[in-house]
Amino acid sequence: MGTFSESVDVVCAPTGEAAELRWGGREYRVCAEPLRWYERRQWWAEERRAPLGSGPGLVDHEIWRVQVLPAGRSGPQETPAAEPPEPLTLDLVRHTGSGRWRLLRIHDALLPKDALQHKSA
Amino acid sequence: MSFTHLHVSTAFSAHYGVSWPDELAQAAAAQGATALGCTDRDGLYGTVKHLKACMAAGIDPVVGVDLSVFDDEGDHEGGVPDSQMAGVRFSKTRFSAERVTGRVVILAHGHNKGAGYKALCRLISDSHARTTGKAGGTVPVAVTRAELASRVLDPETLKPVLTVLLGPDSDVGLALGGRRYLRPRTLFKSWLDAMPAGSVAAEIVTHLSAPGEPLSTAHAVRMLKLAQEYGVPAVLTNAVRYCEEDGAATADVLDSARTLMSLPELSAAPLLQPNGQGWLKTPDQMVELGKEIIHAAGYGAADLQVLLAQTEALADRCRMDPVSDMGWKQPVVPEAAVIGIEGDPLAELAQRCEAGIARRFPGISGKAEADMRARLQHELKIIARLGFASYFLTVAEVSRMILDMNVRAAARGSGASSLVNYLIDISQVNPLQHDLIFERFLSGDRSTLPDIDIDVESAERHNVYRRIFDRFGSQRVTLMSMQNGYRARGAVRDAGMALGMDDGDVGEIAKQLWRFSARKFREALEEKPELREFAGRVEQRNFSENQQLDLLVDLTERLDRLPRHISMHPCGVILGDATLLDRTPVQPSGLGLPMSQFDKHDMDPMGMLKLDVLGVRMQSAMAFAVREIIRIHPSKAEVVAAGAHPAGPGGSGPDYIAEDGLIDLNAVPLDDEPTYELIRSTHTLGCFQIESPGQRELVGKMAPREFNDLIIDISLFRPGPMKSDMVRPFLEHRHGFAPETYPHPDLKPVLQETHGVTVFHEQILRTFDVMTGCGLAKADEFRRALSNEVKEGQVEEFFRREAKARKYSPEVVDRVWGTLKSFASFGFCKAHGAAFAVPTYQSAWLKAHHPEAFLAGLWEHDPGMYPKRLLVAEARRMGIPILPLDINRSGAEYRVERVAEGPDRGKLGIRLSLNGIFGLSGTELKRIVAGQPYDSLADLRARSRLSKPSIKRLAQLGAFDTLHRESGGTANRADLVHHLQNLQSKPARKGAEVIEGQLALPLGDVELRNVKPGLPEPTTVENVRAELDLMAVDVSEHLMSSHRPLLDRLGVTTADKLLGLRNGTEVLVAGVRIATQTPPMRGGRRVVFISIDDGTGCVDSVFFHEAQEHAGPLLFGTRLLLIRGTTRRTGPRGISLSANMAWDLSQVDTLPFPERETGERGSADPGHREPGGAGSDNPEQEFWQPGPLEGISRNLAITGLGS
Repeated sequence: MGTFSESVDVVCAPTGEAAELRWGGREYRVCAEPLRWYERRQWWAEERRAPLGSGPGLVDHEIWRVQVLPAGRSGPQETPAAEPPEPLTLDLVRHTGSGRWRLLRIHDALLPKDALQHKSA
Repeated sequence: MSFTHLHVSTAFSAHYGVSWPDELAQAAAAQGATALGCTDRDGLYGTVKHLKACMAAGIDPVVGVDLSVFDDEGDHEGGVPDSQMAGVRFSKTRFSAERVTGRVVILAHGHNKGAGYKALCRLISDSHARTTGKAGGTVPVAVTRAELASRVLDPETLKPVLTVLLGPDSDVGLALGGRRYLRPRTLFKSWLDAMPAGSVAAEIVTHLSAPGEPLSTAHAVRMLKLAQEYGVPAVLTNAVRYCEEDGAATADVLDSARTLMSLPELSAAPLLQPNGQGWLKTPDQMVELGKEIIHAAGYGAADLQVLLAQTEALADRCRMDPVSDMGWKQPVVPEAAVIGIEGDPLAELAQRCEAGIARRFPGISGKAEADMRARLQHELKIIARLGFASYFLTVAEVSRMILDMNVRAAARGSGASSLVNYLIDISQVNPLQHDLIFERFLSGDRSTLPDIDIDVESAERHNVYRRIFDRFGSQRVTLMSMQNGYRARGAVRDAGMALGMDDGDVGEIAKQLWRFSARKFREALEEKPELREFAGRVEQRNFSENQQLDLLVDLTERLDRLPRHISMHPCGVILGDATLLDRTPVQPSGLGLPMSQFDKHDMDPMGMLKLDVLGVRMQSAMAFAVREIIRIHPSKAEVVAAGAHPAGPGGSGPDYIAEDGLIDLNAVPLDDEPTYELIRSTHTLGCFQIESPGQRELVGKMAPREFNDLIIDISLFRPGPMKSDMVRPFLEHRHGFAPETYPHPDLKPVLQETHGVTVFHEQILRTFDVMTGCGLAKADEFRRALSNEVKEGQVEEFFRREAKARKYSPEVVDRVWGTLKSFASFGFCKAHGAAFAVPTYQSAWLKAHHPEAFLAGLWEHDPGMYPKRLLVAEARRMGIPILPLDINRSGAEYRVERVAEGPDRGKLGIRLSLNGIFGLSGTELKRIVAGQPYDSLADLRARSRLSKPSIKRLAQLGAFDTLHRESGGTANRADLVHHLQNLQSKPARKGAEVIEGQLALPLGDVELRNVKPGLPEPTTVENVRAELDLMAVDVSEHLMSSHRPLLDRLGVTTADKLLGLRNGTEVLVAGVRIATQTPPMRGGRRVVFISIDDGTGCVDSVFFHEAQEHAGPLLFGTRLLLIRGTTRRTGPRGISLSANMAWDLSQVDTLPFPERETGERGSADPGHREPGGAGSDNPEQEFWQPGPLEGISRNLAITGLGS
């Protein structure tokens, strides 16, 4: 499992859950029902201020765990067509204020090469 | 779609809930809810506020509680798996925190004539019954399941009137977090077995926390399935702790304050809420949550509808009717039989008033009688209309009971406006004499129970309470409670603890916070000079420490005003009928007597009769003084001589002194000239209400001549009049500096006694009445409405219209309206002022005629605002000998004593008491006094069994000096202390017996005689230091005396010399701080009053904005002050100081020493030599010697640093 914090573009379905995402120049499609929860933050260590009226997002943030596959029409893969690609499990965090998404964790031990490349880039 | 939140904690769940009931009710109503629950932890602390808020928001209240539950094992001991557990040990630990299995929510059913509410009240009282009410009790607030089951059914119908919600915090919910399948089922089953059918529901909650954590959707699903398995209804809640998301961080800090762990510690435990989702979510959001749970459970849309419908069905069942269920606004008084009357209470009341006329108005006739009777009929008519006769009879009963106990008592407040109260001995003020208006107290237009407050001797207050409980029966009486909310200091301490900051650091910051609301902390940082240093540290954000300081400020602001705990109200006693405990839950108070969970704001809504029985130390001090006078002068003739009292009608002294010398203070005429002379001298330290720096200034300016002046003085000295500059015009008119003016001749009779200035509520009522003809009852309604922005407009409209109709000119109307508007909200009720002025006069009378006995009473009961040492200094100033501690002459109280020898021979002095010595326990004190007198230390040890440290301390204080001298020893006090110190370090072995063996021999004190001399005699400074350290009082000499050389070098002026100076003279003064005050001021800028005592008297100084800037941290933190300022003459006998700079007297190198004279002046005076500059940077250091306060940190009561 790797820990990241890079920006991800997410397209949500009308029901509010993540459906597609663009990450590192590639498109991915959510291939299983995502899991969503709210996780506590160590806000007293991470924040400089916590005034009354700070609003949502100080104490927790929203996490989505999605399984994605590269989007179908993004061009031919190097892998042989007979072997379907393994889905990738990602934890995404949505910033409460701005609504922007960041990648928090990649779960699978077998990281695709290009993901690793991103990390070192 | 409507959704009802059934599980909501308000801010009144101390250290748990975040939001106020009205915030929650308004938010719920705005979301479209038709009802809202209030389920505070451990009680109904927020319930009445909730009721009020719901009624205002137009929704139905739902009422319940969140309670801990004990396990069942004590209820059937056979079931204890661990058979080794012995019965005795078992019962000891039965009600301990370890035996709590979890928390459940209990909701009362409504619309059953209060059966549900009653069961809830009784259940909550059960849960507190085993606690001690004292801090550190080990028994938690909790119920057993048997108790719960027995309360669930209405004893009359045998139907359930409570519903128990088993949610995530219940034993079942907690077990669901584990991996065991069977455990939660067993637990759930045992609830169903224990509870009457139909009284249990499952509470389904998801805070959308991470899978596997508490409050996750997965847990909610398991609870839902469990409910379905057993066919128990399930309801959806959000276990709300805050109204909006923003409150989550506050909840974290409250968790820290409750558990006394820092946030990092709590987070690691993990004991914090898993996230911040516990807010009052909207119906849509709640339906979404329901969907998520149903979906995750694999159920369908119909199941969602069932869940939501069951929630609403329970909500409907629990809708409360405030009136029929909870007795909203229906006054309940004790049953007539209990107060000893049969028949019609009104007839009884009228009859008692009639009897009172003969006593209060002997020989009254003619017009006076007609007026008085008309007033009486008027009052009785209103009382009859309101049906309050029993109320008056009840209060009269309590009043009579107190007087029968021989306890001094005086009614205060607007109750003094009532002739009925005067006639039935509730009040001692004749309302006709002072022109007091009954409608200010009670009117036909207002149906709330009036307030009658009774002041009693503070030392007797608890006895009075107990007597009330005995008299009315414990089912009809309970004490009122009060909510204690966070203020700045407590808030900063708890915020600092949450952040894991160093205790000492936070303590230092807390010390500098001086009476401002925590919510304005950041604002205060910018404005207040004493916080400048701290503000600077917050500013420097480049250091990691300062990130914490910034957060500290934010969290402190978050805690502001939130309730911390309830405690016994200082005076409120609730009286009701036999159903009182069906209408309020009670819990033990620290005093041991039961205390209601409702506070003063809840009384009127709940129809509760509250009597304020206030302990007033001054009443105790005066009672003490009267007893001392008769003890020293046991006959009328002696008292008359000692007090220089008038010869009276028969020539043998006034009637208010009995033959045995007992003074009837209430009978002392209110026109005693020496008393007014004392008040005008401004030497009023110790006198009730007029001893503060501001009041001394005001009485100096006003120079009271008669009792009515005292009433006016007390009424003027209030934040409102001071703030709105009423005092200056009043004084100018009074002294004839400016002509009196009246807005209109019609108002002259109303305003004449205060020279045209409106001071009293009574005057506002009459002004309304004169100019609009509205009647006094209506006028009082108007006066009350003036403090309400909305209603004020309506009153103004009425006033202008009616006044215009009566041909008052627009200018007059404008002017009078301006006065009414600005003064009505804070003007003072004259009745209240009159009631206060009585003890003011009485205390001044005692000080003028019997100062020794009076001061002894003050020292004994410490009634005032100052540290006791100032009143000792006052005795010194008045030339009253202060007699040192003596093991054979000092008792458990301060005593007046005729001085037998020395320069003061024949004078009356005050002997110090053995009470209040640091480390001397109450039982030691009792044994000392029981065994007096002692002929030797050995005798003392043997009979009083004093601890060694106590004996050493007594020696330090000189209590053995006389014994020591009589023994013929040559050693001094230091040698004796040294000797005792040595004994102290030796083990307590047989040594004592050797001495005890000598007891029988008539040798005097061998031990004392044989103490080895050798040490130097302790200096006076050392003695005073010991006195301050151990008694908080400087006895041997004033603590400033030893600083005299330094003060002379600085050129300091003493307090007694100030009055001889011209107005505007710049002076330096120095002394020990005795008072610090920051009253609200006109224009909103803070003014700080600091008073110091230099041994010749008090210097009152005022620090305006600029001086505060200069003085900075010295304002609130320094005990010995040097102040530079200019004199301000405040009256013929008054002078104060407008400060421009202050120094800490113990920081010698910072002090402003005058330039040493040099050059020709120097040579002209050969005796005055320049100090050799070499080697000494600060030649002034020689003038500083460590004073008595040096090194004493124990006792804050020495100085006026305040809390």
